[in-house]
Amino acid sequence: MKNNIIAELVEVSKYYGTGTGRMVALDCVDLSLAKGEAVVLVGPSGSGKSTLLHLLGCIDKQDKGRVIIDGVDTSAKSLEELASLRLDKIGFVFQSFNLIPVLTAYENVEIPLLFKGLGNSFVKDRVNEVLDSVGLYDRKHHYPRQMSGGQQQRVAIARAIVGNPSLILADEPTANLDSRTGGDILDLLLHLNKNEERSVFVASHDSVVLERIKKVVRILDGKISID
Amino acid sequence: MNIIKIATISLRNLLRNSRRTLITVLVSAAGFAALAILAGYMDFSFYGLRELTVCKGFTAGGGTGHIQVFHSESLKKEELFPMQYGVEDNEKIRADIESIDEVSFTMPRIEFNGLISNGDKSISFLGLGVDPEKEAELIQYWNSLEKMGGKKKMSDTAYRKLEKTGSFGVLLGQQMAKALNAEAGSNLMLMSTTVDGAVNVVDVTVAGVIRGAMKSIDRHYLVAPLETAMSLLQTDKVSKIVVVLKRTEDTAVVSRLIEENIHGQDDQPMFSVIPWEELAAYYYSVRDVYNIIFSFTGIIVVAIVFLSCTNTMLMATMERVKEIGTLKAIGVSNAWVSLMFLFEGFFIGLLSVAGGLVFKYVFSVVINNSGFKMPPPPGMSSSYLLKIFSAVEFLPWIALLIVFSTTLSGLLTLLKIRKISIVDSLTHV
Repeated sequence: MKNNIIAELVEVSKYYGTGTGRMVALDCVDLSLAKGEAVVLVGPSGSGKSTLLHLLGCIDKQDKGRVIIDGVDTSAKSLEELASLRLDKIGFVFQSFNLIPVLTAYENVEIPLLFKGLGNSFVKDRVNEVLDSVGLYDRKHHYPRQMSGGQQQRVAIARAIVGNPSLILADEPTANLDSRTGGDILDLLLHLNKNEERSVFVASHDSVVLERIKKVVRILDGKISID
Repeated sequence: MNIIKIATISLRNLLRNSRRTLITVLVSAAGFAALAILAGYMDFSFYGLRELTVCKGFTAGGGTGHIQVFHSESLKKEELFPMQYGVEDNEKIRADIESIDEVSFTMPRIEFNGLISNGDKSISFLGLGVDPEKEAELIQYWNSLEKMGGKKKMSDTAYRKLEKTGSFGVLLGQQMAKALNAEAGSNLMLMSTTVDGAVNVVDVTVAGVIRGAMKSIDRHYLVAPLETAMSLLQTDKVSKIVVVLKRTEDTAVVSRLIEENIHGQDDQPMFSVIPWEELAAYYYSVRDVYNIIFSFTGIIVVAIVFLSCTNTMLMATMERVKEIGTLKAIGVSNAWVSLMFLFEGFFIGLLSVAGGLVFKYVFSVVINNSGFKMPPPPGMSSSYLLKIFSAVEFLPWIALLIVFSTTLSGLLTLLKIRKISIVDSLTHV
């Protein structure tokens, strides 16, 4: 059973501030995400959604408990080791796309592969393949400013999956898009989940997302419940 | 391959804020140009000072020439009477020396002292017995130096006048002439001790007034023809033989050749062969002072370049916090992110060197053609024409210094980047 788990939070707590001003962001949370599973995380603002996502993405450290990614306990890992783990295992999709403005779509997608020591021809083929899969092969030489929000988010998704990560974390991926484009982006994420068996963990307020992803994790005041 | 990609990203980031990059490059280029011009001025100063030491000198002894040949005892012991350790048969020795290809010519000199009087007033003098024609030739050597190439050449008129006046003419330092109320054509008396210890007096006529290189010796300085000095001292010896070469750079080689040529008659060397460097205490003291001043100025300029570039890099870091956070979230390590900024600093350095070379060239041409005269240095009596040499040998080092300081400023961003929290940066606006 454990071999089937891609990410796991074990009694994880996270606090902000100290003393009497201390705020509990996550309170002894246990959560498992299976390989190939799609999960949506919902909750009101300030409920701890982003904190949970950051801990799963190994870009923040918990105060208590353990975060295990693909069998690796991240608690004692150095910053460089965590960076390497993110590069290999995790793909991020951000609400505001976070593309590098001086790079073309192709170059943005290429970034994760540049640091993996892969051959040039492999990188080229892989980037083209991924851009093709998100429907942006024809726009690969365009800069972010030359693309629509939906296209930019597709580039961000391409960048997230180009390194073949097992886990895709998406923070409000449809929030900055109109409903139709948001629907397309969601289709793409679910397609990746279904056809490529990648685990997708989406934090969202969007009711459409809630309708289309069956497993829902609710978070309130730092505590979670699973539907 | 990754390195090239990262370098490309860095270049694009520089172009992204082109105005700020331009200002930083201009500041650094100005720094490069300032150091290069300083090096060119330093090169000119040292070269000029070196050749001035050779041609004119900074003591009562006149220009040092490139090499001086003394009786071997004269530098070790005090003379009991004038010319005790003088050089005998100087013409034969000079002929031997002049047979060396690198030697341009040689000339004898006698150093003597005593009293000079106008009948009413007597003052002490430090005299130099010379061959006026050869001394004029030494001035022509200076005038032939292409690198100094100033419009105002050094004049040999005084020595020509001395030659014309004949055996008993003298040239007086300006201050001495003033003290004795003498001018060209005035008759004076020189009084000194002969080699036998007797007091001797000769009548002389003032052929002209000269300005000594240094104010302090001007009041006691006189130049007389060799025959006058020999007649006053009652000797046919000379104090030294001055050797003038075709090129200053050959000094060490010719010194060795002279030692081999004029030594070896027996085991005891008869002569001491002294290159100009050992006679140029003033040159070295000035050079030391200049080196300190130039080094200090260099440090200030490099510090300004470094701080300016560091400011730019830190501003760029702050502006790109979200991008840095995104790259780190993707899994790019701090070292790789820092490398991007390192490249930006490196490229700023390269652009600065290119711009600085242009600035340096333009400023050098303007300065060299402006005819700008520098005021006399402390203790000196004449101003000099400012020139900036190309200083080619210094340029690679200055370029290295500028590129290093701008690159180092890029490296400093590593400290900032390490501190950037990924979580905070992702929400940074």
